[in-house]
Amino acid sequence: MKRTIAVVLLLAMNAMAGDFTGKWSGSFKADGADHDVPQLLLLKQDGNKLTGSGGPNQSEQYPIENGKVEGERVRFEITTGEWKFTYDLKAMDARMAGDLELKSINDRRTAKVSLSKAK
Amino acid sequence: MVILGVTGSIMEFEPELDRSLHPQLSYIRPEGRVLSLSEIGDAVSRRFSGEPVVAYLPSLSPNLSSQVVLPSGVAYVNQYTGVVLGMRTRGQTFLGYMRALHVRLVGGQFGRNVLRWSGVAMLLSLASGLYLWWPIKQIRIRGKWASRRLWFDLHNAIGIFSLLPLVMLAATGTVLGFEDQLAPLIYKLTRSSPIQTFRDNSRAPVREPIAGAKSLTPDEAVAIARAQMPGAVPYRVQMPKYGGLYVVALVYPQDRVAGEDNLVALDPYYGDVVSLSRSSELSLGDRLLAMNEAIHTGNVFGMPSRIVVWLASIMVFVQACSGLIMWLYRKKILFAAGESASQESVS
Repeated sequence: MKRTIAVVLLLAMNAMAGDFTGKWSGSFKADGADHDVPQLLLLKQDGNKLTGSGGPNQSEQYPIENGKVEGERVRFEITTGEWKFTYDLKAMDARMAGDLELKSINDRRTAKVSLSKAK
Repeated sequence: MVILGVTGSIMEFEPELDRSLHPQLSYIRPEGRVLSLSEIGDAVSRRFSGEPVVAYLPSLSPNLSSQVVLPSGVAYVNQYTGVVLGMRTRGQTFLGYMRALHVRLVGGQFGRNVLRWSGVAMLLSLASGLYLWWPIKQIRIRGKWASRRLWFDLHNAIGIFSLLPLVMLAATGTVLGFEDQLAPLIYKLTRSSPIQTFRDNSRAPVREPIAGAKSLTPDEAVAIARAQMPGAVPYRVQMPKYGGLYVVALVYPQDRVAGEDNLVALDPYYGDVVSLSRSSELSLGDRLLAMNEAIHTGNVFGMPSRIVVWLASIMVFVQACSGLIMWLYRKKILFAAGESASQESVS
């Protein structure tokens, strides 16, 4: 019985999380930076696996690595060169927001990200 | 100001310090022919379970290793033998922390603002120092060891001899700190505009590859890029999987101001040049901003100017310390002897 309830709850959580497949746009601002950096993510969800690409615009896209969806939590990585971007986002309706960690070979920075789903 | 001076002096030789902290990864002995990028990439991928190459950072010196950027870190490779020397993962290091302190006091916008205005404070401090020095024109050090006179003379002598480099460091640093606000003014005064950089271009879409077409090798991409910029040396090759295009960055070693600002973006299947930006085509405003940065970092005249900047950065610390000690002496005399402070006149 307990197992059945757990499975039902898990299925319900997945249903609540919705589908992240689609185009998400927004920006991030690194702590101590002057600029907002534009973001465009082209996401594809398959169960709790997230793939696709992301970058500053449509023409500059980098592959999404280690993408995972856990309920309303979305985590993935993008490597753009010397920098690795690690996203830890929380979804609310058609919006996602959360933390971004930027790491290079000798530096680490943090940023706040805000994205919304294109209709 | 003390933080700016100390961190600035460390950052001045950041590449050399970084290599000395990782000598086994950095230094190699030149032997035989240099392997192609493809050969180097294959060696790295074999070593790291087929991880894709994000970018190549070819060596610019025969006795320094090449680097291959992977999603999991940066691999160091001997470009003559293909031997992988090791891997560095991404994360905060001591030198990175020094840079973060120098640029933003590690913190966010508040730290950045504090440092910006510290540059202005340093300029004011230098101006007031010159104003106080001018009537006495003290350049000799006469005081006994650990005496108030010694610190006074030291502050005066070092201050006047390092005034010019310190003014240049403070002024160029202030411009860098307020670059977002000052750049529009510089472009307006020079009647120029920023060059359309690679990232700002809305790049032409990559043509659909012919079915079964093979992508260019990184070596072919470099050859096309070099043909666009004779005399320039590639220092970075970004793979098309990471960004959609081959992006080759090249440097003209003789141009120490903006020699690194050369980018060629290529269609990975056809080799078409999709985007090109040359340092020689920078606008006057761009060049002035690049010159400001080159003066601040000391790159403008190579090693001699780097040494001057390094010494000047140390002098910021020395001047702040000697100024503080003088102030402490003054306080002590005022507390201890009151009006008798004038007995040991230092003016």
